[in-house]
Amino acid sequence: MHQRSESNYSNNYSLLDMYKEDSEDEQNTLNTSKLDSINQQTTKEILNGDFDRYGFKKVSVHSSITNETYNDWFKEYAEFLKERKTKWVMLLKSNGLQVDSEKTIPSRFPPKSDKVKKLIRKGIPGEWRGSAWFFYAGGYEKLNKHVGVYDKIVRDTKNLQNKDTDVIERDLNRTFPDNIYFNGSLRSNQDGTPGKQKPQSQEEEKNSSPMIRSLRRVLVAFAHYQPQIGYCQSLNFLAGLLLLFMSEERSFWLLVILTERIIPKVHSKNLEGVHTDQGVLMLCIKEYIPSLWSILGKTFEGEVLSEDKILTKLPPVTLVTSSWFMSVFVGVLPIESVLRIWDILWYEGSKTIFRFALTLCKTCLESEEFQNAKPRKKNTELEQVELFQFMQSFPKTLINPNVLVDNCFKKIGGYGYGSISQDEINKCREFVAKQRQKLKNKSNSVINPEMNAQERRLLTGDDDIHDVYGFNRSIMSGVAWNNNISNKMKKRFSRKASKSSLV
Amino acid sequence: MVAPPARTCGAFLARWVPSLANPAGAAPALSPSPLKSRILPNLKYSSFPPSMSTNDKSNILRKYKIVFLGDQGVGKTSLITRFMYDTFDEQYAATIGIDFLSKTMYLEDNKTIRLQLWDTAGQERFRSLIPSYIRDSNVAIICYDITNKKSFDNLDKWISEVKLERGEDVIIVIVGNKSDLNNKRQVSAEELETLGKSIENCSIYLETSTKANHNIKLLFKKIAKSLPEFNSDSGAQNKPETIDITIETTTGGENSYSCC
Repeated sequence: MHQRSESNYSNNYSLLDMYKEDSEDEQNTLNTSKLDSINQQTTKEILNGDFDRYGFKKVSVHSSITNETYNDWFKEYAEFLKERKTKWVMLLKSNGLQVDSEKTIPSRFPPKSDKVKKLIRKGIPGEWRGSAWFFYAGGYEKLNKHVGVYDKIVRDTKNLQNKDTDVIERDLNRTFPDNIYFNGSLRSNQDGTPGKQKPQSQEEEKNSSPMIRSLRRVLVAFAHYQPQIGYCQSLNFLAGLLLLFMSEERSFWLLVILTERIIPKVHSKNLEGVHTDQGVLMLCIKEYIPSLWSILGKTFEGEVLSEDKILTKLPPVTLVTSSWFMSVFVGVLPIESVLRIWDILWYEGSKTIFRFALTLCKTCLESEEFQNAKPRKKNTELEQVELFQFMQSFPKTLINPNVLVDNCFKKIGGYGYGSISQDEINKCREFVAKQRQKLKNKSNSVINPEMNAQERRLLTGDDDIHDVYGFNRSIMSGVAWNNNISNKMKKRFSRKASKSSLV
Repeated sequence: MVAPPARTCGAFLARWVPSLANPAGAAPALSPSPLKSRILPNLKYSSFPPSMSTNDKSNILRKYKIVFLGDQGVGKTSLITRFMYDTFDEQYAATIGIDFLSKTMYLEDNKTIRLQLWDTAGQERFRSLIPSYIRDSNVAIICYDITNKKSFDNLDKWISEVKLERGEDVIIVIVGNKSDLNNKRQVSAEELETLGKSIENCSIYLETSTKANHNIKLLFKKIAKSLPEFNSDSGAQNKPETIDITIETTTGGENSYSCC
């Protein structure tokens, strides 16, 4: 058993070795799959082994998923994966794109369409993932505009040492310690030989696994290319996950696309984008999951946050949700679920993060444990924190990505968050960013007794309230919301009706 | 200090996610559903209105908030993991934002306390979130790595952040981790002592090794002892609903404290 799975990984490993220092051999890795496709053999190896197909430990010590739960799920999921692969091959063929053999990775995919979107939502075949992500995220456009740029930055930053590289160095081995490509000692453990100690000295660390060296180059190059971001913890997870699916150069450019277009400023020095997106998420929770908002939309003192206060004082639950955005669910959900969200993210954009963040919130809310644990009258910090712990641990148990995706998108039997459009998210982001800017300006100025009413109102925030309503109105006017509104109205009327009948 | 025979270190029992506390799977059967037990046991004892809590007042669980601060990679997560589950890994994934964990500690006279541990990201830019997470903390454990002088030098910044937010209403604990790596030491034990003595409300400072499991239990024992329940003149007046619950007071004398 062990023998077989070892051969499986050494095979992958040799491909990884092809990332040479100067990454000139990249072309060689493009058309060959780093991942084996799912067939009877590979499924068996995964079921019998300790690692999943991406090299992650199936069961981590502090996770509530057991080997048994994993296998129960994976047996079924492997069948689903095979079926999806067939559909993808058919899609490509019907678009005149040839798929020659098992091992070929298509470099081009069909143009965006409803059909492709549907297929993406059901998951891209693992072995094609890197290529499809790159294609749909606009990677080629970026790469063609910047031919050779990555290699040059890597050369320029080879011996660079600064504040960012210090921090990066400390995070390299703390990226995926439970992944065989990132943590070589797991490999020797698998042989039955005692695991190697982690390299301690700088020199030793330079000789670490090829994946760690790739990660170092990508992160250092990125910090150099985007000085306004530099290095921010969580970028290591993003780059690390990309590297499992594509070359260094491509990982680099997707990281650039992610931080420029999809979650701008989320990793910037002051984390302003995190605050903005948390504001947006909070407004969304208030709108879509009011019952959850009534629990979480409070300060630790129990003060209910009125609409104009949400953005000045983000509710404490954002301490939990911030990391969902920064690491785009890596470490938040089981890896297969993360990958399924990433499939959609590169194709559909940032609304995906909000849709799934809402899905997670609602899934937590609907779980029995949450219902039982809900703080009653008093809603103090210590009680809220118990809920936050639940919101952090519960998503890690959601092993079946199909359930998660269905919950997110299905209108019947799901939450129907597919109706939240990118346009609305953009508008809301713009609004929140503007409000926060206003608040910042305001906190810099002080009300003085000589100001007239107009000036005071500007400073005391009456306008903020109006702006909030503006956001709600823009939602209400959307066609997509008709369904939501009519449901609300129905509920309201039925409540009224039942009340009046009682009278 | 002699521990009563019935209560040994084993009494350090993590109720939170029993399956986590005990990876071997022999999770204490607190409730039929492992998920349910994550939340339910706490609520039984939490500071809800009287009707919600148990009649026996001595069973009401006091909760304390402990924040872990310090530079990136000094071993905050490792320290918490050692305390929670008594395990150690060479590497832990970097903490992004804040991880919330809880652990119930059983002390003498059936007394239990619940510690809420806030594990934080060490990178500087995450400090924009800090004031909100230092708020209302009972204890701030500020960590450095004895093999990394810079992490020691940065203690000042962390200490002033805590003082700014909490004034004197907090117990400051300084921990020098990785004491097993003595040959790579860049900060001496004397330096820690000098610093510890110079800080007003820092009564606890010590070196630990999460790898060699050195001083971790002692650390938390000391912390538990200095908490307001044992030392009634300590702060936390501003959270009456969680701290001021009357408990059969036994002044925490030296020997009454029970843990090995």
